[in-house]
Amino acid sequence: MIAVAAGTNRIDPYLIPALDGVAYGLLVFVAASGLVFCFGVANILNLAHGTLYAIGGYTAAALLDGGWASLALALAVGVLAAAAAGVLLAGLLTPVATGNHLTQALLTFGVALAGGSLLVAGFGPDDPQVQVPAALDGSVVVAGHRYAAYRLVFIVVAAVIAAGLYLAVRRTRAGMLVRAAVDDAEMVACMGVSPARIRAGVLAAAGALAGAAGVLGAPIIGPGADTADTVLLLSLVVVVLGGLGSMAGTLLAALAIGEIQTLGVALLPSAAPFLLFAAMAAVLAVRARGFATNRRVT
Amino acid sequence: MPLTTPRRSRAVTASLLALVLTVGTACGDDGPGTSASGSIKIGLLASLSGTYQAVGKEIRDGFELYLATHDGKLGGRQVDLVVADEGNGAATAVPAATKLLKQDRVVALTGIVGGGSVAGVYPLLNETKVPLVGSNGRPELKEVSRVWHTSYLSDEPGAAIAQHVRDNVKGSVYAIGPDYQGGWDELRGFTDAFAQAGGKLANPDGKTTFTPFPATTNFTPYFARIKASGAAAVYTFYAGSAAVDFVKQYAQSEIKDVPLYAAGFLTEGGVLNAQGEAARDIYSVLNYSPDLDNAENRAFVAAWKAKHDGSPTTYALASYDAAAVLDRAIGAAGSDPTPEAINTAIGQLGQIASPRGTWQFSTTTHSPVQKWYLRQVRQDGRALSNTVVGDLATIGR
Repeated sequence: MIAVAAGTNRIDPYLIPALDGVAYGLLVFVAASGLVFCFGVANILNLAHGTLYAIGGYTAAALLDGGWASLALALAVGVLAAAAAGVLLAGLLTPVATGNHLTQALLTFGVALAGGSLLVAGFGPDDPQVQVPAALDGSVVVAGHRYAAYRLVFIVVAAVIAAGLYLAVRRTRAGMLVRAAVDDAEMVACMGVSPARIRAGVLAAAGALAGAAGVLGAPIIGPGADTADTVLLLSLVVVVLGGLGSMAGTLLAALAIGEIQTLGVALLPSAAPFLLFAAMAAVLAVRARGFATNRRVT
Repeated sequence: MPLTTPRRSRAVTASLLALVLTVGTACGDDGPGTSASGSIKIGLLASLSGTYQAVGKEIRDGFELYLATHDGKLGGRQVDLVVADEGNGAATAVPAATKLLKQDRVVALTGIVGGGSVAGVYPLLNETKVPLVGSNGRPELKEVSRVWHTSYLSDEPGAAIAQHVRDNVKGSVYAIGPDYQGGWDELRGFTDAFAQAGGKLANPDGKTTFTPFPATTNFTPYFARIKASGAAAVYTFYAGSAAVDFVKQYAQSEIKDVPLYAAGFLTEGGVLNAQGEAARDIYSVLNYSPDLDNAENRAFVAAWKAKHDGSPTTYALASYDAAAVLDRAIGAAGSDPTPEAINTAIGQLGQIASPRGTWQFSTTTHSPVQKWYLRQVRQDGRALSNTVVGDLATIGR
């Protein structure tokens, strides 16, 4: 099973990190898209977003037992729990004026701290073990290299989620409302759609996405005391790099983060501690608005 | 006037200080830690909250197990164990230690998970002249007259296994570890001894690869570099959640067939359960394993399993031994076991029988001169466990 081709050329050693960057990037995309929606559509800065992901992660750790049924169950429970937490957040945020980011940040940050403590109190201080379906708990050979089977499948699943998200935003009535709300929130309100409903809907959708990312991504960014912070930080970097209005920008930013964190580290291990933020600074210096071309949902 | 105010305030301070001192001595008539009834106060400082709480609880439980199996007595005296929370580091450890040393006036301090906490508490020990019998963290210290450790120095595990790796690995070895003081010490211990034994590192620049800590959760890019280096084996040190990530990803990576050697913390305690199958066959070096075959260990493991799930760890063992050290030292300190007398007695203990095998304090570092064991993760009944497969060097300076 050892690759014969290994080391024969200069690109070969970096194939796996590059592939892993796609897996990591897509996970960051699914995790961050909820935050981008929240910020871009409902104008809510939700610093508890990482906690929504952690809810999914802990659900996966608690329910997965190596079978496919448990994965489906964990996905359902994780998505519902995180979506419910999102609605709860929307309820808490009701008295806060839209666009008052400082108050929102304080409130959601407080919720994140309390939620993190609750998760640790409920699931214990040790990082729990996540058991992926037995069929995927191994490695496969890709172009002469060994790679985790779960991550390979994850790439496909996350790509399907991304495509579904794109279609939902483009083709469904809810998606049209979302796009309309980004373009002109006041007009949407005038048309009789309650802003509170949009807010609750967006936070629920953001929670569902984060929950799904948390369950499916648990073997990659696993649940633990630091998970919420890690995911929130990565999501905020996506917002900075990708802008708020464009799904393509979000996807591009997430994939860039994935590649920087894997391929970049493989190429320049000594720069690993600051590579991500150096790249972010470089992008901002060149384009102050990140990768986004305009403030529209594509 | 600016010239007179400091003088006056100095006078006020002095009289206040005098008052405090009088009150202090008036309250302290019993002498520190020992009461009229013959009981003795010991302070245990360990992380009961925060990142290291798993280790902290093992340390508390190890000490309490010794007390429970010895009628709650050390050196023939009933022990009043005062437990305080070390938290995440020196910032929380120092106030807790101050309370133990100055308010509870314990005769000896034990525990302390973090090296940084020990460094923070160290000045207090000199100020109060109370000995510390530490059971885990051990920073670089210039002067150790009141500091004793039942654990190890951070560079010893690597130094103990280097010769074995040199003898058994045909080819170069890739060294990788976390980028902080503990990681530097652990890896330096290995690379120095390995180079001395004539071994060659596979790392491209001949130096250990350090990964950002604790930020690194994805080791795949590093595994790609290890693969490209053509290493015949890997030596590493990680602990806690980083150990889980490293081991699980290693088992699914393209270097899964490359033998993995590590400092024992990679597969010690709770992390082994989290790693599961992925940890199978990993070699590690540690000063203890629950399957060691001696009478002390059989009694220790049986007593532990009667109270807890799973086997005891090296953390619990070190704390158990700290209690054993204090037991003998307090017994040898005479009718008035003052902190000074106990400290002197610890220095004269000689050989100490322990579940890890017999060991003694080094006269220069005040840490154990002890044997290290090569362990491999193997099936033990239903669970995977660290099984001793051989003896390594006896190390201690």
